[in-house]
This record gives sequence, C-alpha cells and structure tokens, in this order.
Amino acid sequence: MSAHEHAGALPPEPEKATLEGRNKILGFWLFLGAETVLFGTLFSAYLAFRNSTLDGPKPEELFQLPMTFIMTVALLVSSLTSVFAVQAMHRHKTGPMLGWMAVTIALGAVFLGLEIYEFNEYAHEGHRFTTSAFSSAFYSLVGFHGGHVAFGILWIGLLILQILRKGLTVVTAPKVYVSAIYWHFIDVVWVFIFTVVYLMGKV
Amino acid sequence: MTENHSASHGTETQRHRAEGPQKHIIVFVLSMVLTIIAFAAVAAGNVNKTFVIFLLLGMAIVQVFAQLAFWMHMKDRGHFFPIIGIVGGAFVVLMLVALALLWTWW
Repeated sequence: MSAHEHAGALPPEPEKATLEGRNKILGFWLFLGAETVLFGTLFSAYLAFRNSTLDGPKPEELFQLPMTFIMTVALLVSSLTSVFAVQAMHRHKTGPMLGWMAVTIALGAVFLGLEIYEFNEYAHEGHRFTTSAFSSAFYSLVGFHGGHVAFGILWIGLLILQILRKGLTVVTAPKVYVSAIYWHFIDVVWVFIFTVVYLMGKV
Repeated sequence: MTENHSASHGTETQRHRAEGPQKHIIVFVLSMVLTIIAFAAVAAGNVNKTFVIFLLLGMAIVQVFAQLAFWMHMKDRGHFFPIIGIVGGAFVVLMLVALALLWTWW
C-alpha cells in the first residue's frame, strides 16, 4: 500500500491522462481489429476442414463437455476479475488492483493447465497435429488461442512486478488498462471457440 | 448510477468516475446464464440440430456484445475508432467464414 503516496496526484482515469496513454489505447484497439481477422482466418480454416478427419478421431468422439465448461468458467471469471483490477485502478487502490491482476493470471494458468492436459489426452487418443486436416485446423485455432493466454499471463505477470517497483502512475496505468482489454479479448475469442468448435462439434 | 455515489465524499469528477461493480457483475451473470443454456442445449441432445446451432450462435453473440460494451468499455464515449477497428475486423471474418463454408459445401 506504499503506492498511496503516488495515488494522491493521479487524475481520475490515469490511463487516459496523457496523450501517449490515449494513443496506446487507440493503437491497441487497431491491433485487436487485426487480431480479429487473424482468428477469423483460423476459424474459417477450421470450419472448412472440420469434417476432414481421415482415419483420425472425429470431433464428437474427442470433446468432453464438462472439461470445456470448467475451462470456460475459469476464463469468464478471470475476465471479471480483470474488470475489478481496472476499477481498483480508477480508485487509485494499487494493492487491490495488483491482487485482482494476480487472481486473473492464476485463473488463466488454470485454463492453460487444463488445455495442456486436454491436448495431451487427445494426442494419446491418436489426435495429433498431422493426423488430419481437422486436427491441424483444430490445434492451430485452439493452440493459437492458448498461446494468447500464455502471453497474457506473462505480460500481466511482468506488469505486476513493474508496478511493485514503480507504483501506479500515468505511465503504468495505460499498461494495466490495455492488458485488461487484451484479456477480455481472449475471453471473447474463447466464447466463439467453445461455441463453434466444442459445442457445435457435439451437436 | 450517480445517485448511488452522491452520499460519498470526493469531488464532482471522482464521484462521476468511481462506477460501481454492479453492471459488470450483471454482465458476468448474463454471460454465465447464456453459457449454461448453450452447454445444456448440447448436453440435452435429441433436439432439432438447426435450432440448436442458431441458439448457440445467438447465445455467443449476445454474450460477446455485452462483454465488448461493458467490460471493454466500447459503450463509453470516445470509442469511435475501436468500433471501426472491431466492426471492420468482424466484417472480414464474416466474409472469410462465408467463403470457407461456400467452398466446402458447393
């Protein structure tokens, strides 16, 4: 709570207090527009190849809905906790903000751990990257999303360390805000993955 | 929302900025309910396939709109370019998906 000394001088929305901060947020949104297209290409490849399973396992044989549901809840709750981190930032409460960020990456790690376990299970069932067009498209899409989760954990983890050193300032606040937007985006992509890949694969 | 904070101390701006967590919790509960409906519809099985697919897409789109608007603050003012970015991206995605489906169906 030593960061309270810095907090006194902070404006109400420290992430938008400087032009640099506002530009970072704008630039990040344009990046997310490009990310949308990137995930779109992977989704379209998956939709095109989802029935091309050759001799490998089919989607309905592989997917276990309880597992997917637990992963979904973990990511959804982590998205809510990153909202709480930004709200704590707006109140200049550095301690609670860091706490919510830590909870967010812990839940992200739960999600990632379950995904690694899931992929390992699939590999044992003969569903590997080169098994079929379906398996390649599946691992590309879901694995790329998992890579984004891993990057998010690393990013927010490093951000926690930086804020412990430098405190909450008009320089560090935009980073917290932008990382929260990134984390929500990961959850939004997952909503489409569990719908299009897992649930529609079971219909 | 502002009435809730009128009793609290602080300047005009601080009162305005310190939004409560209520609406974010509502978005969370909504997302949870939509997710459970989607999973339950698939787990139930033996339901009309086309109906379930449209139900699933509907649940996903409503949930994503709520999260974009409230959690990612797209409903707030000054989000013209973010909307352009995401809508532009979504437009390309729709074309890609349509292309992939047409290519494999015909």
